[in-house]
Amino acid sequence: MKKRSQTIEASPAQPEGAGAAGDDLLITRRPLSYWVKTSNLKLQAILLAVILVTVAVRVFPLEMQKKIINKAIGMKEMDLLFLYCGLYLAAVLTASGLKYVINVLQTYIGQQALARLRKELYAHILTLPLSFFRQTSSGMVVSSLVTEVVTVSEFVGQAVAVPVTNVLTLAAFAGYMFYLNPLLAGLSIVIYPLVMLVVPKLQEKSNRANKRRVDVTRSISSKIGETISGIHEVHGNGSYRIENRKYGEFVDQLFKVRVIWNLYRFGVKVLNNLFQGIGPFILFIVGGYLAIQGRFDLGALVAFLSAYEKLYDPWREVMDFYQVYQDAGVSYKRLMEYFDVEPEHVMEPPAGREPYAFQGNIEVKDLSFTVTGGIQLLKGISLELKPGEHMALVGFSGSGKSTLAQCVAQLYAYTGGSVAIDGQEVAGLSKRDMARNVGIVAQAPYIFDGTIRENLLYSCESLLAENEKPVEGENIPTLDEMIEAIQQVGLFVDVLRFGLNAVLECRGNEELVAKLIRVRRNFQENFGEDLAGDVEFFDEKRYLHFSPLAANLLFGSPNRGDLAVNRLPDNPAFMEFLDEAQLKRPLLSLGRELAQQSLDILGGLPPEDLFFEQSPLAADELETYRRLLDRLEDTPLHALEPDDAALLLRLALRFTPGVHKMVAFPPMLEGLLLEGRAFFRERFAADHPGAVTFYRMDEYIHTQTILDNILFGRAKTDHPKTQERINQSIIQLLIEEDLLERIVETGMSFRVGTKGDRLSGGQRQKLAIARVFLKRPPILILDEATSALDNASQKRIQTLLETRWKGKSTVIAVVHRLDTIKGYDRVGVMKAGKIVEMGSYEELIARKGILYELVHGARKGV
Amino acid sequence: MHERGFCMSLSTEPGRASSEFQENLEILMEIPLLAGLSLEVFKVLAYLCRREIFRPGEVIFRQNEPDENAYFILSGTAVLLREDGEDHEVRKIHESEFLGGLSLLGDVKRLFTLRAETPVTCLMLSQERFRKTLERAPEMIGRLLENLVKGIQTWEEGFLNKHAMKCQDCLSGSGVSLV
Repeated sequence: MKKRSQTIEASPAQPEGAGAAGDDLLITRRPLSYWVKTSNLKLQAILLAVILVTVAVRVFPLEMQKKIINKAIGMKEMDLLFLYCGLYLAAVLTASGLKYVINVLQTYIGQQALARLRKELYAHILTLPLSFFRQTSSGMVVSSLVTEVVTVSEFVGQAVAVPVTNVLTLAAFAGYMFYLNPLLAGLSIVIYPLVMLVVPKLQEKSNRANKRRVDVTRSISSKIGETISGIHEVHGNGSYRIENRKYGEFVDQLFKVRVIWNLYRFGVKVLNNLFQGIGPFILFIVGGYLAIQGRFDLGALVAFLSAYEKLYDPWREVMDFYQVYQDAGVSYKRLMEYFDVEPEHVMEPPAGREPYAFQGNIEVKDLSFTVTGGIQLLKGISLELKPGEHMALVGFSGSGKSTLAQCVAQLYAYTGGSVAIDGQEVAGLSKRDMARNVGIVAQAPYIFDGTIRENLLYSCESLLAENEKPVEGENIPTLDEMIEAIQQVGLFVDVLRFGLNAVLECRGNEELVAKLIRVRRNFQENFGEDLAGDVEFFDEKRYLHFSPLAANLLFGSPNRGDLAVNRLPDNPAFMEFLDEAQLKRPLLSLGRELAQQSLDILGGLPPEDLFFEQSPLAADELETYRRLLDRLEDTPLHALEPDDAALLLRLALRFTPGVHKMVAFPPMLEGLLLEGRAFFRERFAADHPGAVTFYRMDEYIHTQTILDNILFGRAKTDHPKTQERINQSIIQLLIEEDLLERIVETGMSFRVGTKGDRLSGGQRQKLAIARVFLKRPPILILDEATSALDNASQKRIQTLLETRWKGKSTVIAVVHRLDTIKGYDRVGVMKAGKIVEMGSYEELIARKGILYELVHGARKGV
Repeated sequence: MHERGFCMSLSTEPGRASSEFQENLEILMEIPLLAGLSLEVFKVLAYLCRREIFRPGEVIFRQNEPDENAYFILSGTAVLLREDGEDHEVRKIHESEFLGGLSLLGDVKRLFTLRAETPVTCLMLSQERFRKTLERAPEMIGRLLENLVKGIQTWEEGFLNKHAMKCQDCLSGSGVSLV
């Protein structure tokens, strides 16, 4: 997997252009020092200057110390004492300040280099061939880009500053020490060569442990990525124990490796410290002896000791840097080795050539594709398609249909034979040439977290050049074209529904709101009667059986959080209102009955949506209410604890007679509640103005969706037939008001979630197909692109291909379902990597060969 | 879960209107295919089934399409059709008839079309809900199968007695109870 070998035999054109403009070397071949050399050199220069000043400033206090002791204290000069102490302080402060500046600069430089490294590495990873990603887990790529590169940034930041500062500081101090007393200086220095012999050996062991650490961390990331992507199997097999054990083994390995690695690292540190400690010992012995003998003055001894102690910091920093350098080197090398694969095709056409605009003639000659292990996926395939011809590829699983389509699409680098588009060899074309001319719809489409619009325009926007701005009508499709595309693939109603489910902001939409109010009126006038069976309209004088009890009382949308349905029992003002309206007792009674009936039916059921959709109780509330009912056995309703009463009221306020069928809704209560509604409006609204936006025919409710606003009521059921009826009526009205496009446009801003998980599988596929249709490529490759669609949708796409694309674009469709292939110009039947039959559908059926068998089932029973 | 060998209508408290749930429960307990299931199961099924209204001319289920619902006609009249290019009326379906029980037990493609003539209200129960409920009481399946066997037997007996003897083609095509 590591390095690609040149096995293309018959490709006439050499890959044009060795690499991107700028650095010729593949990112993975660059040495660690490259990142230092190309880091922000201006900042590095400033850093260096600051360092030099720091060094000087560090030495200065030493001189001051000596002067303080000898001159100021020795000669009992107060003024001098103050002077020298002041200078000392100034030097120390300056040194600290400068150290901060150094840290900031280092971090900045390091992070800049890191950002560059991340971007360039990612750019490189994106171009790697598909075969690389077969063997790589996404977890590994994530951990590489996020964690492993960080050590490199630390290194780059420190690469100039730390060694230079500290070596210079050491030299300065050492120089000073020699100036004071060469003998002592010599004695104290003698330790260091010893250190420099022993430490690298330990460091080597540490490096080895580090390499292993990187590898194990990588394996863990891979393992995690792999398990998560197969989590459905884990759940399905209940294999938690197995997976936990496997993961645990890796974690244990990592634990051991890290411990060992740190043992070595700390070993190195400890050795340093040890030697540091021995130094003063020597000094005290020898220096003290000399001082006693009078051959060395006390002040100098103190200064000497001070200098020696000051050696510790720079030395430690150099040692630390050494380790960082080693660690970074190991990480970097490991990282780059892994991604050191050359892309199979060039990205851009060579300078001076515009991307080709092909007609769509495809010529395949003796194509073969062999993968590692000598397995031949394609064996000597030849075919020719004229521009505008449509071919269906069918065959058993594993016959190579997808592989053939992907070789033509330049997704795989074929290993033998030739594929030419308009006479140009595909292996030599750049990715940009292919993107411009070939549209690919894969079986599992890539829908990313963004709006529908963004996903729809993905293919078209990818064709824009680096600095080109997208302009509707010029280089990207217009809104009309986008709407046409979603209509063609059958997504129109879905996007419309998203638009209708949008909630409009109060400000900025006045015109739209006014139109929608008109639509609301028209809806009731024109369709009110017809749809009376499907929609319950908001009518002040009628009780709403399909809205919760609380909504019936409020008869409006709460503008305050504390008036939301589930918060009402906690709102004392509302409780007061209930008392005054004499609704408390009936509601408690209702609540109790709801609890009793629900528990009776649902008591033993598992917490599945299916069972709890029509229940006023959620599955996790069953226990609470069961206990409540036990407590209630002997307590009359009026003597309830406030908390228990709140529980019952909460239940009663949720009651929706149209949904919660287990309790009959007594007409008397209905009457009481309607009175309560009027009472609420009078009293509560008067006391708390603005708390609720009441449902009024000519007022827009900004907390509800556009659909709810148009309906001004609730759909009685969510059956598809009912939805259909309502949708049709609304569409008609929107067209009349010229609002249809606008709503669809709103719907296109719907965010589809990570991997498009807020869309169904069929919707995702339709979106992927629409995306490619918008690009209008001369060649269209469909790889089982309609597998997730129902019959009707598949037929629709098929009809679309036949009516709008035949004669205009060349189509290769890998097809699994055989009832859709009749309309193709040609059908190619593949088996074990070869094309065994090729011709029109009628021809092949008449021939009664393999296609006939596939379509009609094997002759000798199954 | 105890077995019930006989049907009994639940009496509601005097003066209280019965809820939709109660009504569903009483209806379900009278359906031959479901005879003998436990009260708990009936309660959940009564809770899970839903009512739907079909307008005159609307299709309730269509020939050749998969359908996973069973239907009980609460009110109205529907007509059962067999299409082979043109519609042939099989018979009319009236109130209190139960159709489509097989869909609860397995995947079927309809062999007939059912269309509402007057406004029809149906009680509908889906296979998914039925199965999920029975997962909680697997011992009931035996009882269901017995009912199914009895149902097919009764049907074919009726068919043989009333029609088959009059027409040789029909007679030679009979034998569904021997499946």
